[in-house]
Amino acid sequence: MRLESVGKRYGLRQPWVVRDVSLDAAPGRLIRLEGRNGSGKSTLLRVAAGVSLPSTGRVTGRPHTGYVPERFPGTLPFPAREYLLHMARVHGLGTSGARRADEWLERLGAAGYATQPLRALSKGMCQKVAIAQALLSSPGLLVLDEAWTGLDQAARGALDAAALERVADGGTVLFVDHEQARLAGRISERWQLDGTGRVSAAPGGATGGAVAGDGSVLVVVLAGVEPAGGALIADMPGVLSCSVDAGHATVRVAARACDEVLRRVLSWDGVHVAGVRQEKAAGR
Amino acid sequence: MIALLRYQAAILLRSHRWIFPLIAYGALIAVGAAGSTPLAGGLDWGAAMLVPVVAFITRSMLTAEPGAARACVAAAAGPVRAQLAALLAALGAGVMLAIGGACVEVLSSETASDRNPPPAGLAVKITALAAHPAILAAGLATAAVCLLVGSAVGALCNPPLLRHPGAAMLATLAVAVFALASGVSPAGAALRESSAAQSQPQAAHWPGGVPLAAAACLLAVTWTASTYAAARRENRSPGAT
Repeated sequence: MRLESVGKRYGLRQPWVVRDVSLDAAPGRLIRLEGRNGSGKSTLLRVAAGVSLPSTGRVTGRPHTGYVPERFPGTLPFPAREYLLHMARVHGLGTSGARRADEWLERLGAAGYATQPLRALSKGMCQKVAIAQALLSSPGLLVLDEAWTGLDQAARGALDAAALERVADGGTVLFVDHEQARLAGRISERWQLDGTGRVSAAPGGATGGAVAGDGSVLVVVLAGVEPAGGALIADMPGVLSCSVDAGHATVRVAARACDEVLRRVLSWDGVHVAGVRQEKAAGR
Repeated sequence: MIALLRYQAAILLRSHRWIFPLIAYGALIAVGAAGSTPLAGGLDWGAAMLVPVVAFITRSMLTAEPGAARACVAAAAGPVRAQLAALLAALGAGVMLAIGGACVEVLSSETASDRNPPPAGLAVKITALAAHPAILAAGLATAAVCLLVGSAVGALCNPPLLRHPGAAMLATLAVAVFALASGVSPAGAALRESSAAQSQPQAAHWPGGVPLAAAACLLAVTWTASTYAAARRENRSPGAT
């Protein structure tokens, strides 16, 4: 996907929120948008997601898109699962929609709330529904606007894992989050908004807060791994250790080799990421 | 597009936003049918009342979906199609009201063939209608003009083109009344043209081709403006628009 001289303002007499943005969002990239409040991060995300058409320039080559807004008020007159079924059809999913809706509600820890009306759900639960609708179709472009806000620990981990899965699948993920350490070490690129509407791209990992550079270790928990599979993982380059317990493999892997290991393991049937964290390094 | 229409129709049904327009339209038709009227005149009245009612159904649909939910749909299907689906769902609800209203008029009006009838049974009314199918066809054509004008008024006077809730509601009402009263509007012109034939109760009240074409143009212009505004200057607030 490519943004070509994209500019956006909300009306002719309004100031430019972003202007003259020409950037590539290549497949397999995890891209973080950075900038102070009001610098136009959400607007750029909305333009990139196709929610809003740019005022100037254009967005080309956008794959099928899932978008998670920063707040998802539960004022639609549906139960959670019925909303997801509608969204599955809007995303063009056929009969697999219901199964995927149930899978994502389960993964995000919202399965028990499937039949509850959206109005009755808490803010965090509504957020999980919003995330589920974006992930239903395994979109080629996933756009997350502070999607982690209001989620419990387990769901934050599940969303981290889902974002990394999209990237491992060759998708593009664009995100904004106030947490500096969000997906640290896995970011391919940073788009920095300077507050005047200009955006510049910087390589991932080089700047920002806690970043896992060379030598750091990630702990990845994979669900659906057989003991035999665990042995295969342990032999992969960059894997420091792998233990399998009740179908869950806990893999310690060098950060720089993690992408390749995940790419190989996630191609197996039934395997998905249940959590990713950075191993506490000495002296940190 | 089918999925989007199903989604919007489900919002309309599940949110119970259809109840008020249904009651309002029923009441307006009942007022019109209070005195015994010939069928052609009754159908004209039912068509005229579609303008404000469909304008308000359109308002209901344009304000039903919270901005955040619309954004999710727009990412999946495009902002233009998302907006069109909302407008189409409202128009579809209007079509159902128009059909229901026409049925009520057929059952409640005087038989077309007799100036001074004894109380006619259902079978008599239907036989009389079958003898003059043009009356019903002309009434439905007038209803189509009013339906399109009502939808255009709703699209023009509501979000995203007019966001302020109070101003939007007043504008919807005022423009709907203007569209009925003024001969400039296709609905007004159609109703004048058909009431010109009022003296002959058995004649069909055809709205005329110009009002129908003008109403279609009006609809195209207002819907284009509404979808353009929805895609370019979309509401950024997460609450209901």
